[in-house]
Amino acid sequence: AAVRSRAEVDATLQTAKLNPAELLPAVQCLSFGPQAGGECCLLQLEPGLCAELEAGRSLVIRGEKDEHAVLCSKDKTYDMKIADTSNMLLFVPGCKTPEELNADLASCNIIHSQIAGFSKNYWELRRCRPKLKKLRKLLMEDPYEGPDSQKDQTSTLSKYTTEDLLSLIQASEEEILHQLQVIDACKIEGYWRILDFDYEMKLLSHVTQLIDSESWPLSKVPLCACLEELGSLEPREMIEHILLSYGRKYVDDGEVFFEMREDKICRAIARMLLQNAVKFNLSEFEEVWQQSVPEGMTTRLDQLQGLALVDKSSRPETIFLLKVEDLPEDNQGRFNSLFGIREKWTEVDITPYIQDLCAEKQTVGALLTKYARSSMLNGVKVFNSRRPIS
Amino acid sequence: SPSVPSAGTGALAQWVLVELQGEVQPRQSGDLAGNLLGDLHYTCEGVPVLIVGHHILYGKVVQLEKPFAVLVKQGGAPQPSPSAPHGHYTVTALIKTKLLFKTRPKPIITHVPKKV
Repeated sequence: AAVRSRAEVDATLQTAKLNPAELLPAVQCLSFGPQAGGECCLLQLEPGLCAELEAGRSLVIRGEKDEHAVLCSKDKTYDMKIADTSNMLLFVPGCKTPEELNADLASCNIIHSQIAGFSKNYWELRRCRPKLKKLRKLLMEDPYEGPDSQKDQTSTLSKYTTEDLLSLIQASEEEILHQLQVIDACKIEGYWRILDFDYEMKLLSHVTQLIDSESWPLSKVPLCACLEELGSLEPREMIEHILLSYGRKYVDDGEVFFEMREDKICRAIARMLLQNAVKFNLSEFEEVWQQSVPEGMTTRLDQLQGLALVDKSSRPETIFLLKVEDLPEDNQGRFNSLFGIREKWTEVDITPYIQDLCAEKQTVGALLTKYARSSMLNGVKVFNSRRPIS
Repeated sequence: SPSVPSAGTGALAQWVLVELQGEVQPRQSGDLAGNLLGDLHYTCEGVPVLIVGHHILYGKVVQLEKPFAVLVKQGGAPQPSPSAPHGHYTVTALIKTKLLFKTRPKPIITHVPKKV
């Protein structure tokens, strides 16, 4: 079809009884471009994303076929949801606004613009928590048991590089790298590994025994000496890794030291003790626990938040292992699981097990209001499930 | 994993969204490619006026609170659907402005029969 002429435009204006004097001189004739078949889709941007795109950064859509897709920027994760409108949305490159036409009065009075695409819907984004439970699950497929382990020499099947993790985990790169640090993962021969807990405790006890025999202050453990003394027992990278995991690194007078983290060490030792039975007599446990930690460290029950739960209703009082990372990642699943373990929870007891569910500006209180029902029990406020638990 | 890189170097193109009520049908059978939609004018006050077929549509220029990114799927794969947005996309353009046509189309009367 021939290109529309100005004369044809003017004829149409006349038929429409529109007064050209009331219009800006330039007309834009819109037609559908050859590609306008729907290879495009629209993504509604949350604050900040527009600026990121304009700065040249890219966005990634992640998810396996059985997962809901998420969109990831460099450091944030968003749920994607389709929004239907009943209207037609046409996208027109180079379409000029009145301001742009007025700014360019010398332009000709007819512009031919092609509609690049159209859609009846668009993708909406909503910031969400990164889906990181899968990260631990993948790394737990093949925990590192040390250089003497036979397992490692055989397969690389369940081993993951950074690239692998980026393609499998529904989270932004920064969120993934941060979580790797949080779970004390380390890179061995290019693959991210979690230490097998027994191996980890073995490494830790090498270090704590050395600290004891050398009478070093817990706040000033020298890296070099550790590597020298323990290098014959374990790989140097592993010794350094355990110091990094359980200590705070600092430099003093050119030398590297570690301030050992009392809470983390006590917590790990508690886990080691608790994992051997279903539950323990609380007072017996507390005694053994204090005896098991390094000289100079003090055990406290609040070090065990999100790791163990005390049952104050049993006689005698007992304690058992309950790791928050073993519980479901989604809100409803988490609450169902917690109420299945215990019918009524105080806010103090349940908080460590729901804290990680809080969205950007959400409080634990808000979560409890949404997913639980409160009542009074012996003068104490307790929370139970909103629905019957089967 | 499916990435959405910005197309090429330099600033992203800025496009405009035109929002119309209902469907746009091609005059003849076949798809819309190549077909004319209509003439877009602005009044001196900046009100967009779109003449589509025998209709006049009046609209308004809206600055979008939440801009859009236009994603183009790579590799000639099937159209992204609500259940499967997975795939390779390029951000081709940003849209910060839309022309919203919500008014009822005013029909253009092209032939008035002569009274006898």
